[in-house]
Amino acid sequence: MNRLISGKSFIVLIVLAVVLIFFYPRVMDSYFLHLTIAIFLAMILASSWDILARTGQVSVGQAGLFGIGAYASALLYQWIHLPPVLGILAGGILAVILAVGIGYLTLRLRGIYFSITTIAFAEALAVIWLMIPDITGGAMGVSTPPLFGGNRILAYYLILAILALVIMTVWLIEKSRLNFAFTAIRQNEDVANVMGINPTRYKVLAFMISAFFTGLAGGFYSHYNTYIIPYEVFGLNVSIACLVMPIFGGLYTILGPVIGTILVKVIEEFLRVTVPYGHQIAYGLILVVVVLFMPDGLIGLWKKRIKPLFLKKSSVG
Amino acid sequence: MNDKILLSVNGLSKHFGGLAAVQNVSFSIRQGEIVSLIGPNGAGKTTVFNLLSGVFSPSAGTINLDGEDITGKRPFEVCQKGVGRTFQIMQPFPQMTVLENIITSSLFGRVPKISLSQAEEEAVELCKLVGLGDKQNTFPRNLTTPGQKRIEIARALAVKPKLLLLDEVMSGLTPTETIEAIKLVRSLRDKGTTVFLIEHVMKVVMGISDRVIVVHHGEKIAEGTCAEVANDPKVIKAYLGEHAEDTKESMC
Amino acid sequence: MVDWASLLQSLANGILIAGLYAAVTLGLTLVLGVMGIVNFAHGELIMLGAYSSFWLFTLLGIDPLLSLALSGVLLFFIGTGIYRFTIWPIMKDPPLNQLLLTLGLSIFFQNLAMILWKTDSRTIITSYSGMSLDLGIIHFGLTRMITFLISVVLTVLLVVFLSKTKPGRAMQAVSENNTASWLIGINVEKTYLLAFGVAAALAGAAGALVSTVMYTFPMVGFKLSLKAFCILVIGGLGNIPGTLFGSLILGITESFVGTYIPEGSGWAEGISFVLLIVILIIKPTGLAGTRRE
Ligand SMILES: Nc1ncnc2c1ncn2[C@@H]1O[C@H](COP(=O)(O)OP(=O)(O)OP(=O)(O)O)[C@@H](O)[C@H]1O
Ligand SMILES: [Mg+2]
Repeated sequence: MNRLISGKSFIVLIVLAVVLIFFYPRVMDSYFLHLTIAIFLAMILASSWDILARTGQVSVGQAGLFGIGAYASALLYQWIHLPPVLGILAGGILAVILAVGIGYLTLRLRGIYFSITTIAFAEALAVIWLMIPDITGGAMGVSTPPLFGGNRILAYYLILAILALVIMTVWLIEKSRLNFAFTAIRQNEDVANVMGINPTRYKVLAFMISAFFTGLAGGFYSHYNTYIIPYEVFGLNVSIACLVMPIFGGLYTILGPVIGTILVKVIEEFLRVTVPYGHQIAYGLILVVVVLFMPDGLIGLWKKRIKPLFLKKSSVG
Repeated sequence: MNDKILLSVNGLSKHFGGLAAVQNVSFSIRQGEIVSLIGPNGAGKTTVFNLLSGVFSPSAGTINLDGEDITGKRPFEVCQKGVGRTFQIMQPFPQMTVLENIITSSLFGRVPKISLSQAEEEAVELCKLVGLGDKQNTFPRNLTTPGQKRIEIARALAVKPKLLLLDEVMSGLTPTETIEAIKLVRSLRDKGTTVFLIEHVMKVVMGISDRVIVVHHGEKIAEGTCAEVANDPKVIKAYLGEHAEDTKESMC
Repeated sequence: MVDWASLLQSLANGILIAGLYAAVTLGLTLVLGVMGIVNFAHGELIMLGAYSSFWLFTLLGIDPLLSLALSGVLLFFIGTGIYRFTIWPIMKDPPLNQLLLTLGLSIFFQNLAMILWKTDSRTIITSYSGMSLDLGIIHFGLTRMITFLISVVLTVLLVVFLSKTKPGRAMQAVSENNTASWLIGINVEKTYLLAFGVAAALAGAAGALVSTVMYTFPMVGFKLSLKAFCILVIGGLGNIPGTLFGSLILGITESFVGTYIPEGSGWAEGISFVLLIVILIIKPTGLAGTRRE
């Protein structure tokens, strides 16, 4: 109980780290590296959403935070040539500031207020962006020079570092008192309150953490992609992707959002070719199917249905 | 028992729309006392507890705990000031084990804060104290009603309350369990906790309380020792029609 | 100098659009009031209503103001189907699941519409589309006037249905307290089914109205549902007078912003969010009285 990590998983982690740091970027060709970067980016979004979901709150407007992160670092580069890595950090911080504002307004109310406000927030940012093109670049968007002069391996290391930071944060949350506060609030806010937990405070905290990483991801995206437009970074598709991936994988776990992201990306990549318009229909279907038939996502399915099939023999004996 | 007043309530009222669930109720409780709050169904007892623990904010009146005005404070603040409570309708966190339920309370209800490992140790102790020692790692849904009530009590105790509010924790217990529970309450008092409890079982009330407060239709109609209250014509009248007979029997 | 004519004109435009907003929001309010669910797919039901009206007009030449009833009936059946197969099984789940499910349905229908009908914006041009009505200093587009009147009729019909018919009263009882309703012999599940169906029918009719005064495109329902959410919050979540009041506030504010602020019509799209934030700051329980939790 006291040891934070078991010997076996420690070895797995070391092996994984070595592979991801030393071998993977050398073995993979440029296209696969690009795909990996996209998937890692999505994993960051998925895990960040899940951090907030642990308090029972559903953000339908992560695109607002993602877009703010993206624009902050792109515009800061344009205005004062702030180095991308600092710009990305600034994007994360700006997202946190916005999250505090929205959080304090809505998170003391019933959860639905938060969901409604976040969805409206992302759309409102898109409106604002179009209306003040002198500052924001308007519908034409903003472009930046390629990240690290187009060196994909360095970009890969940067996104890997951010992803590692997210996963570590989730893991630390799980091992700390925050886990008790978040879980208690999710399961029964009123009772948590009577037991000494300030629900608003912890929900805002969770939203801040979530916003920080989502903002970082946005900042990274703008420099890596070299070009952003409001419709895309503030778009509903981003917000929906942020929630479908962890829900599909399994909420409130470290691995759920990771696995969910990989599968959703694979499905999406496949559909993008066959269904040019509206391939995000898969997102809708996944949400409906998961809510109706697999309440704990893929992780739950594995634990409840598939794992027992393998264990049957040994458990009988 | 000493003479220091721990809780004093003045002119407390709570209205729900047109309904006055609690009306102009005043009383005080001394440190180390065991006081019962009784009254017919729907009299407003649970509402008084909800007001004391900050779940509702009062429509009028003040609540003073240990010399500090806590009127209108939010539940978590009240809890951290030293009020622990149970819920009449048991509300354990369903996806936490019994132990985790109690740890949560130890972690956040205590001032100053304690570490996770310390909270875990204390929770294990509390589990044993309330008789859930062998059920630590089960989930609340696997426990019977009395079992779940034990979780409620342990969670309330985990905050190390100065004032413990128990809402009908003994209804539905077997006679032996009831005797155990009474022993537990007494031992808590001996360790310095002040206990304010709602009970319907008159034998318990009479056997345990230093004083009794009676409410009816949201108003306080009597207060005093068991004997005083039991012979109060207003109290007898309040209980008449509902379960007058058995009340009289058990009260006297 | 106040230009009274433009002020009045702007006010009148605001009121007319508020009528449409009310029609758009009423179904959402009904489902929230009776079932306790914020239906994120409500906008998409409106979108389907708009498309059905568009196709009935384009293929069969049926006037949208007549096909309104057809859209309503069609959406009633779609709505009851959605309820029966997706929402009914999870009515007892935590509210989170209902939110995610309706969000999933919303995304599903948006993209289905893109697959079926592309992302083109479509319009209906009727023989009376260009006509307008002059009342002294102010004047209205005839279509807008008609959509306003129909919205009023729909609202009145809903209120009469809720207060005068047996199933309507059952809905009101359920919205007050569903355990007690069950005790007095109301079939709560059937009431939910009907409420969801009626809400979808309202969405269908509102969609037909939308198709006459706005573009019809796959995201039209989503855009409208953002406005509807704002109205819901202004009105205090889930009551009809609040919804009407919220619609007026939003419609008139949008109209004034469109008239008096430079490039206002662009900003008007963001008004619902600004109003939402203002309400959350000054009175989160809504401006039109509170609802007991
Ligand atoms: N949240 C609430 N909203 C509206 N009315 C309430 C609320 N809580 C309690 N009431 C009403 O207040 C009155 C007092 O209820 P309360 O639960 O305090 O009674 P009680 O004395 O605890 O009864 P019992 O012995 O049945 O537990 C009842 O009429 C009840 O219906
Ligand atoms: Mg009670």
